[in-house]
Amino acid sequence: MSSKGYVRIGMSTCGLAAGAQDVYDVLKEEILKRDLAVEVKKTGCLGMCFAEPLVEVNIAGLPRVVYGKVDKDIALKIVENHLCAHNVFNDHIFLIME
Amino acid sequence: MGITQKIIFVRDTDSQESARTRDLAILFAKALRSEIVHNRVQVIRVADIGLYNKGWIVRIWPQNIMYAGFSEENIPEIVEKSIKGDERIDSLAVEMPNLQKRIVLRNCGLIDPENIEEYIASGGYEGAKKALSVSNDDVIEQVKASGLRGRGGGGFPTWMKWNFARNTQADEKFIICNADEGDPGAYMDRSILEGDPHSVIEGMIIAGYALGASRGFFYIRAEYPLAIERVEKAIADAKSKGFLGENIFGTGFSFELEIRLGAGAFVCGEETALIASIEGKRGTPSPRPPYPSIKGLWGKPTVINNVETLANVSYIFEKGAEAFSSIGTETSKGTKVFALTGKINNSGLIEVPMGITLRQIVFDIGGGVLNNMPIKAVQTGGPSGGVIPERLLDTPVDYENLQKLGSIMGSGGMIVMSEEDCMVDISKFYLKFCVDESCGKCAPCRIGGFQMLNVLTKISEGKGDLNDLDKLRKIAFAMQKASLCGLGQTAPNPVLSTLKYFEEEYKEHVVEKTCKVGKCQGLLRFFIVSEKCVKCGACFRVCPVGAITGDREKGYVIQQEKCIKCGQCYEVCKFGAIEKR
Repeated sequence: MSSKGYVRIGMSTCGLAAGAQDVYDVLKEEILKRDLAVEVKKTGCLGMCFAEPLVEVNIAGLPRVVYGKVDKDIALKIVENHLCAHNVFNDHIFLIME
Repeated sequence: MGITQKIIFVRDTDSQESARTRDLAILFAKALRSEIVHNRVQVIRVADIGLYNKGWIVRIWPQNIMYAGFSEENIPEIVEKSIKGDERIDSLAVEMPNLQKRIVLRNCGLIDPENIEEYIASGGYEGAKKALSVSNDDVIEQVKASGLRGRGGGGFPTWMKWNFARNTQADEKFIICNADEGDPGAYMDRSILEGDPHSVIEGMIIAGYALGASRGFFYIRAEYPLAIERVEKAIADAKSKGFLGENIFGTGFSFELEIRLGAGAFVCGEETALIASIEGKRGTPSPRPPYPSIKGLWGKPTVINNVETLANVSYIFEKGAEAFSSIGTETSKGTKVFALTGKINNSGLIEVPMGITLRQIVFDIGGGVLNNMPIKAVQTGGPSGGVIPERLLDTPVDYENLQKLGSIMGSGGMIVMSEEDCMVDISKFYLKFCVDESCGKCAPCRIGGFQMLNVLTKISEGKGDLNDLDKLRKIAFAMQKASLCGLGQTAPNPVLSTLKYFEEEYKEHVVEKTCKVGKCQGLLRFFIVSEKCVKCGACFRVCPVGAITGDREKGYVIQQEKCIKCGQCYEVCKFGAIEKR
């Protein structure tokens, strides 16, 4: 894997219905604005539809986690806390992948 | 080094309340502070950790040690050994349970469905390459060895279907992917097509090669616009890569794929109706035999496979038949995707190996019933399936077992019901669905369904008698035996299975004229309990039909003959003074 990290947004019907498009737009814009070396990717349904929209974050030096029930504010928090300050944050993690 | 950054994830799994997890996080934070390691250890509260009703859980990163069910006394030890050090305390450690097994959903949520390169990078189209390098007899032989059975509901061995079509002589043959998913509460096929369309396309290439078909069709319902968009893009990408079209992989095999849209009729999921619909005719079933694999689309041999079946096919050829058949039970191999919905904490898509019990699915994967209500039953197979009561939840899930219980595997809808659900209401709901969706071609389904629904409505309104239960059984029997297609033959299943396991509840409706959970509006009565009533008049003002009479001095009463049972008074009362019985 490349050292470049990524965020992945679940964008199937279940995610989109829960507001994944807004989350995608916010993440894309904020990451571009801050010029972060993080790729923004789309993906399908992970199966945890109760927690949509889901955002998986994988950057070097931090565990690979999936944030659930993400809205615009939490998306901003992902950028500020997780991607910029390298701090995983409370109460919104629904899955720890590694 | 000693300054390694660590993160510990904590969760109280006994409760959905975040405050309980907060308490646990505080305990850890305190313990860490007294050991002066708090500045290089982060305590993170998580919303879900994948385990339920196991007490406190802590997971330590990066070692990935997980401890469950410990108490406050253990915390100093955990901090000392596993957080300051890297040691593992075996007596507390638990492994992450691996109840799910992802074959069909292997890429869903992990790759970009609109990018063929990502699918290829994850091993995609390797299976097709392998399949096309051997003879088509070998391909069918491998599918036979894998033990794959149709995932659309019936469970017919896939290789047999392919073999019939292969052995039939014709100038043209077809393969159809059935993506006309219409069961209430089921969306497996949609998610597969949206999350990993290439796996299905690859399955179709392999199937097309096996039976010697040169054209394939996706039959997708028009209600799935995103799935259609992604499949369209996937077909175009596969074509530009040379996986579709003339002379695939230089083997001389040519194959084209097209999409046909379904208008959303439930009956069009039935093979012969689906074929009629693609041909541009009205989507009604026709008698079988001849089966489509002998005489199908435009009179040519046609194989119709479900989305999930085809996604399994590409896995079988990528990883080998052995890898597939090692999972599952004696007669049912592989995994099954279920759409877990209803009164469940974690609703969503799950993929489990065959042979897992329903109880494991509901409590270990689904996280238990909503609001910790007692579970009453699980419904599988949508409107063609049946209800499985709580006492039979330990049954392993496979085709035969579910059939024995009066339900079916179906396409994979799984609806959890709690004590708040009324079984008469449930069977009425499913039957209503089938009555609405019946095409009306054959009398048993058209008339039988309607008559059964009338009887059920009568029962739910408190006008039924005990003979009605026999009547239901009789009509159901006739429908099962005499209907033309699967829709009519299976439509009585929800009624029969609820009658079998919850006859008492039907009798309550019929004899005592009560619905204990208050779902059947016709049987419901609202009363004002005068001891609790503070005579505020809120119910009086909210009643839309003026069924509540009285004044603030004398108090209020509900005139039963006027009441339309809308429940507004019940909701507006702040003192619990209105009861429904």
